Amino acid sequence: MALTRTTHDVLSVEWIKLELIRTAYATRGGLVARMDPRVVLGWYALLALAPWFTHNLTTLGALFVLAAVFVVLARVGPLVLGLFVIGLISEMVYLAVAALFFDGDLDTVLALTEVTLKLGVVSLASLAAFVSLDPEKLSDALLALRMPATAAFAVSYGYRMMPILVEEFSTVLESARLREPAPSRGGVLGWRHLVHWATLVVRAFYPIFLNTAKSVRTTVEALEARGFTAATIDPRARAIRLASLRVTGLDLAVVAATLAAVVGCHLIGAQWPLHRG
Amino acid sequence: MTTTYDARRGTLRGTAGPTSSTSQNLMIFVLSMSLFGLSNILLEVIPDVSLGPVEISVSYFVFIPLTLAALLSPFWVALGAPLGEIVFTDLLMGDFSGLAEVEGFIQMFLAVFIAGSLIRNPRSRVQLVLGALLVVGIDKLLSAAVDLAKVWVGVEEAELVAGLPESILLLEGIGFVVDLLMSGVLFGVVPALWLVPQLHGRLEPLLGLQPREPGRPVPGSAPRATWFVVVAVLAGAGSFFFAFLEEVDMSPGALDAELDASFLWISAGAAAVLLTIAAVLFAVHRRRAAATSTLRDEDAA
Repeated sequence: MALTRTTHDVLSVEWIKLELIRTAYATRGGLVARMDPRVVLGWYALLALAPWFTHNLTTLGALFVLAAVFVVLARVGPLVLGLFVIGLISEMVYLAVAALFFDGDLDTVLALTEVTLKLGVVSLASLAAFVSLDPEKLSDALLALRMPATAAFAVSYGYRMMPILVEEFSTVLESARLREPAPSRGGVLGWRHLVHWATLVVRAFYPIFLNTAKSVRTTVEALEARGFTAATIDPRARAIRLASLRVTGLDLAVVAATLAAVVGCHLIGAQWPLHRG
Repeated sequence: MTTTYDARRGTLRGTAGPTSSTSQNLMIFVLSMSLFGLSNILLEVIPDVSLGPVEISVSYFVFIPLTLAALLSPFWVALGAPLGEIVFTDLLMGDFSGLAEVEGFIQMFLAVFIAGSLIRNPRSRVQLVLGALLVVGIDKLLSAAVDLAKVWVGVEEAELVAGLPESILLLEGIGFVVDLLMSGVLFGVVPALWLVPQLHGRLEPLLGLQPREPGRPVPGSAPRATWFVVVAVLAGAGSFFFAFLEEVDMSPGALDAELDASFLWISAGAAAVLLTIAAVLFAVHRRRAAATSTLRDEDAA
């Protein structure tokens, strides 16, 4: 019992659900949320490509700091940020263990740190760009880039529906837990609890399959009633949807500042170069 | 036990056979996306256990795309599932890794599509077991082959470390077996054997489809075989290139300081080649999708 209680307290499904709802619905009023979504995608590409053109650890460190500043400006929530930090730390530990396993020395660890830094910059940029962007705006941007309408719809549907799905799943899971007693003894490493939990999760998917099928049918019928498929064929529908997109002075300023900052990072790197090996 | 059909069943859309219309394909796509995305969120909050370099974890709930592919059109399920993973977890959780996502998408699409097309009878336990193992097998074999190729190319350039290829091969092998057992059997075969018979005949009417029956052609499975082979080969090659570009930095020897300038141009050139491949793949897929939907419309008319 002790195991289930502690895991429940640390990572409560309820807290995750609330945090996801905030991520999906509430705009925290960050910088990126006010920008034009097409420009945000371009900005993301700029920041995500920048680290791959250098092996200078100083430049990479500066880029990492730059990306972190943008995450702060975009006001990313604690859940996704926490998951990112946990992921980064576990990645570092894993790389170190892997390097030791292969008889590596400090040079190997440094090489792996370089890769982790690069991936970290990309992840931070995507946190800033995608988490704080309104799903409708993101799907408009995808549509503007000539992505298929289905993919653009999938993005906004996913952002909007995910909190509802998670809530539904946690309701089903909690009621299943109430109906069934947990095993009295955990066994070695609490394997009985693990099996119990895994069985509950899998069984909870049966009602979820049926419920989701129903709600998906309703959604698609509503979409078709409003002419979703017809709108994907007619170019005028696309023009109407994209009419609201405007590139403002703020967008240009942010992109110019980012460009300058990336160039600055490279200059700093050139001034104090730090290469491995 | 009598099966209670949903009140909305009414007259089924489409023709008499288990074909599906455009909007039903959209339903299947969205359903697969939502459910697989949901399961990925659940897995995201569970920490992974790693024993040294071998990670003992559940990569994904294979039974979800497998169940859907066994009951509904495998093509649309296979298209929706990896997109759900990208939209629900990777984009929203900030785990978006650019080119590696394309690699994962292609691998997962191929795995689910092939396994789903193989299942002709959703009531057959043998086919379900085979299907679950195939999804994990194809997905993991593709990524393992990519990993091995990366090491092989990387080591060829650098000093030949004695025993390194063997140990990488061993690690990949152990990882593959662990994945096959954890994701394929525990969270693939076992739940699917229970879930598919439960949902067969209950899930399809909710989407206005007729349940799949053995002997009838699978809806939406590889409309034209030659096209499918072309796309599959292109996709496989693309998956290799995407993964290779992503990891080209990891390979030892490729990034000495004096090689910096040339390496930059190599990677820029590789990126350009990849973008072209991606654009071609994309155009092929769009034309294919458009062709199949018009074909379906003509069939339905």
